[in-house]
Amino acid sequence: MQWYYSKNGTQLGPVEQGELISKMASGEVAPGDLVWREGMVDWQPSAQVNELVALMPVSQAQPMGTPMAGSPYAPPTAGGAMPYSGEVIPNYLWQSIVVTILCCWPFGIPAIIYAAKVEGLKSRGDIAGARAASASAKTWCWVSFGLGLGIILIYVVMIGAGVMSSSSRSNF
Amino acid sequence: MRPERALLSVLGVLVLAVALWWLRAQGAGAPWLPGCSFHRLTGLHCPGCGMTRAMAAILRGDLAAAFRCNPVGLVLLPLALVGLLPEWLGWVRGRRLAFRWHPGARGAWLLVGLIIAFWILRNLPWWPFTLLAPPALGS
Repeated sequence: MQWYYSKNGTQLGPVEQGELISKMASGEVAPGDLVWREGMVDWQPSAQVNELVALMPVSQAQPMGTPMAGSPYAPPTAGGAMPYSGEVIPNYLWQSIVVTILCCWPFGIPAIIYAAKVEGLKSRGDIAGARAASASAKTWCWVSFGLGLGIILIYVVMIGAGVMSSSSRSNF
Repeated sequence: MRPERALLSVLGVLVLAVALWWLRAQGAGAPWLPGCSFHRLTGLHCPGCGMTRAMAAILRGDLAAAFRCNPVGLVLLPLALVGLLPEWLGWVRGRRLAFRWHPGARGAWLLVGLIIAFWILRNLPWWPFTLLAPPALGS
């Protein structure tokens, strides 16, 4: 199986699964470095991909939830989300701007605000907050896009049905 | 590579191309064009008001008229589309590109401020702010 991995923002690979596992064991691929193979929805930190961690040499692979000081694969002691550095959290900024300009509904405004929040939260290390803001930005983008598209579709249907009379002249 | 996403993208581009061709053929300000529903409900201009006519003006090659309809949108839309391109390619391919173009946290907040300020200012009834609003139809 071919794997890709990412170090310092650079995408590397493809490498065979065995090679990637030995890179993880040697520390060349850190627990927080993102890995991906065909079929995965998104990049994930190597330590969170069970199919890789399960195949690591026994001395290295520690079951999740049993922190061992000194082990490079010790899960973080802080509870909750893993504060790795390389996670990709989409901010939907450009999408928000496009729907605000083109879909002509003020629902694009909350999308832009949440999108702008994502980067600030990420840089402050609030990964959970950044994820939540990213999800909100995505939702508002879709609301704006859906309403904009829906109205255009209703118009197309109305024109098709010949409902529009000359008296209903719009201002825009 | 996700074939269904590539297909969806091609269909989207085709629909967009047909819509733009239609807009060019019909001309701006045609009474049946879907107007801004925010404007119709409130009488106020949203940050995107005037973009249909701006697009029609661009298709005619009249950049000045397009700029008059929505100056901020006309600048931001190409920037946003350029920013979307790598994200879109990553989406089609099922894997994010390593390269992305992003203004950073401060830049993002500047854009937020710009759009909200533009939204407020173009609704003020005094010159020179009236220049930011799209011209009334028929003028």
